[in-house]
Amino acid sequence: MSNSTRTPPGKNTARSQTGAKRGRSAKQRFSGWIEQHIDACADALQRVWTQPLNSLMSLMVVAIALLLPALVYVAGKNMAQFGGSLQNTHRISFYLQPGTSPEQAQALQALMTDHPLVDRVEFISSQQAAADFANWSGLGDVIDSFGGNPLPASLEAHPIDMATDTALQIRDAFASDTAISQVVMDVAWIERLDSLMQLTDRMVLALILVLSLAVLFIIGNTVRTHIAGRDAEIRVMTLIGATRSFISRPFLYNGALQGLLGAALAWGLLLALLQLLAQPAQALLAFYGDEYVFMGMDLRASLFMLAGGLLLGWMGAALSLSRHLNKP
Amino acid sequence: MIRFDEVSKRYAGGHQALKQVSFELDQGAMAFLTGRSGAGKSTLLKLIMLTERPDQGQIVVGPRNILRLSTKQIPLYRRRIGVVFQDHQLLYDRSVFDNVMLPLRIDAYDKHEAARRVRAALDKVGLLSKEKMNPITLSGGEQQRVGIARAVVNRPQILLADEPTGNLDPELAAEIMLLFEQFNQVGVSMLIASHDLSLITRLRHRILTLDQGSLINDEVYPSRRDSQPHGSGR
Repeated sequence: MSNSTRTPPGKNTARSQTGAKRGRSAKQRFSGWIEQHIDACADALQRVWTQPLNSLMSLMVVAIALLLPALVYVAGKNMAQFGGSLQNTHRISFYLQPGTSPEQAQALQALMTDHPLVDRVEFISSQQAAADFANWSGLGDVIDSFGGNPLPASLEAHPIDMATDTALQIRDAFASDTAISQVVMDVAWIERLDSLMQLTDRMVLALILVLSLAVLFIIGNTVRTHIAGRDAEIRVMTLIGATRSFISRPFLYNGALQGLLGAALAWGLLLALLQLLAQPAQALLAFYGDEYVFMGMDLRASLFMLAGGLLLGWMGAALSLSRHLNKP
Repeated sequence: MIRFDEVSKRYAGGHQALKQVSFELDQGAMAFLTGRSGAGKSTLLKLIMLTERPDQGQIVVGPRNILRLSTKQIPLYRRRIGVVFQDHQLLYDRSVFDNVMLPLRIDAYDKHEAARRVRAALDKVGLLSKEKMNPITLSGGEQQRVGIARAVVNRPQILLADEPTGNLDPELAAEIMLLFEQFNQVGVSMLIASHDLSLITRLRHRILTLDQGSLINDEVYPSRRDSQPHGSGR
């Protein structure tokens, strides 16, 4: 074999003739190793590219499987903003016993205001309550027909935050006060919304789990056909000393690439769908108030989706290799 | 370099492929392995490659008992052995150059060093001008030479060949054998399985003869003999 013009003299002469070959520097080995990985990536990319129709079809299935949980996630996010704003109007009404003096009411108001969980307290006199009722319902005559104001005075406490727990604590702190006849708060409503939100969260989670499995098997199956198609190559490589990880590498990269491309496709589809939904959804939301805005996909969820696709693809390929790549 | 101690191999179907075979091949030696089809030649080579395992006996290659190698060590061990197959086992989805490059890619050579070695190996087998071609466009003899270039590109200490001239006409077969002798002269130990007695007896190297799994003859530098008993019986 011819001597190298690149290798320094003396290093190559005797050795090359005897067949010894372990004279490579760590740097050469490292760059060789990096090149192996680049080759494997290029190979993976080429596999997707050379069969565009097949690839597109399986990518589409992956994309739809990833699209579903993402859609439910976006829907849940838009519902959550309702939850937030309904809780915003959240307050606790303490109705006072008839005949409570204004001084007593003022003292109680001061006491409530001092409570660490209370933001502010409004006093609504019996007269104001009647006026509000007449105004709001248009049934002022009904009150008049009672021959006296039947509505009690009340104190309305606004908690410092929106947590149901906070509201309950405030209620419990003052409900037993002798001046108070009744406490009203929309706990049931709040809890119902809370459990609805929890349900959507769980649904997203369940969909992610089930459809992740689907992605795993779709990509696993595509990789299986690749393995079968490269049977001869794998046999030759095994015979001339390829390690299992060397043989596996292009398939793993291919799986990861399929997952990533599938996720990217899902992301594109999602964006298009949201574009389609944005206008009617915004119109619907406008009925409930200006503060509601239609929310699309956020950056964090997008990155999660792409990373998830990549990881699932990798795992699908690994699963397939563990079943279909023969032992050396 | 290679030592077999009482090696026996029976396949799952019950066929006794090798019966208590013992021999030793020194470093730098060249030997032919002959016998009829089914005599156990391929099995013997497969045992050295560790694609099959014996039921009995020990096999030592270089300093080590290879039967004790772990699954992880086997690929590294195989890289020290070059193999030439009767049907070349070339990959037709890539060029001649890339076929010969394969062992170096597996061994993580960097591209410059690898390309230099691939060209040196192709030059040695006389196919440097065809490096860009697809092997399927080459003749049988040329394909076999590509297979040989691939087997030697990693500069193995041992070269095994399983019927390397099985599909070639006598002239091309002689050329291939000449090539093997040249590798042997630079220190590569060689074990070549061939049933072509008329060719190998002419070359005057050691000949190990197998018959129904037993080693029945071990001749060094045999004189010319008639090719009748085990002749090219295909």
